[in-house]
Amino acid sequence: MFSDKIELKDFDKMDPEYKELLGHVLTIQADCEIGGPHLYVEKMLPAAPTKLDQLIVARTAAEEIDHFRKVARVAGDIGVDVSFLLSQPNEKRFVETFRGLITTWEDNAVFGFLIDRVGRYQLEEFYDCSYLPMQRILPDIVTEELGHIEYGYNKTVELIESGDEGKAKAQKAVDYWYIRALDMFGRTGSKRSERYRYWGLKRRSNEQARQDYMNEVNPILKKIGLTVPDANQGRHFV
Amino acid sequence: MPEPVKDLDKLDEQLKAVVQALQGAVKQGIPHVKEPQVVDKAIADCKEILDEIIAGNVKEWLN
Repeated sequence: MFSDKIELKDFDKMDPEYKELLGHVLTIQADCEIGGPHLYVEKMLPAAPTKLDQLIVARTAAEEIDHFRKVARVAGDIGVDVSFLLSQPNEKRFVETFRGLITTWEDNAVFGFLIDRVGRYQLEEFYDCSYLPMQRILPDIVTEELGHIEYGYNKTVELIESGDEGKAKAQKAVDYWYIRALDMFGRTGSKRSERYRYWGLKRRSNEQARQDYMNEVNPILKKIGLTVPDANQGRHFV
Repeated sequence: MPEPVKDLDKLDEQLKAVVQALQGAVKQGIPHVKEPQVVDKAIADCKEILDEIIAGNVKEWLN
């Protein structure tokens, strides 16, 4: 296992596999950051239930754009251009979750609650990672992601507490996003994931991160009165 | 040292300016959510900025 810590100045000396994996993971991370605003801004900025919610949609988008900027800087410094992602149509996003458009408030709420939480897991993979410039941008990004998750959770709970109709909408949105959230962790036994861990770019296997996520989310879903969807139904990556 | 991508600084500055403008509009709106004139203007400003980002005309921004 590789245990050195790498600075930008050391990058040229690194193994080609390390360079390729780092470039790839930064591109995907950047895509996920900018993929969020592309998913919810168009319909949710005008349709959020209150003026305050509209402003919070805009603030969330601003934070995600800033996360993209920070990741784009780390990638750009090693010669990986991710600017094309800014004009990428949604259907071409790397991660399936970001291909489409959020058109309902319940989907927007649950997206924050469940998908931004996956985002936090993805970022946590870089804690103590071998590439120090990436490690340095994490604290602020993770703090803001925690805010998005909390907001999504609170809005989901508001829906549930609004009555049977709201609860049914929240459950329907959870049924949709939960499966996508689990798929975002990738394939069990992935060889690429093993190489990321070998090079100190990730901490956990896909299946371990997914299981940790389920261990965290399932009790929350039960606590707020929702049913945990069948984790094996409709999955693309198992 | 690796060769950084072309226009990296320009893009960084452009995005930083966008984020600051958005955050500014949000900060103006939040204390005035009950004053339609102020909050609607803030939301309209956010929409204008975000529409530009979503359009993603990167080449245009960098020129």
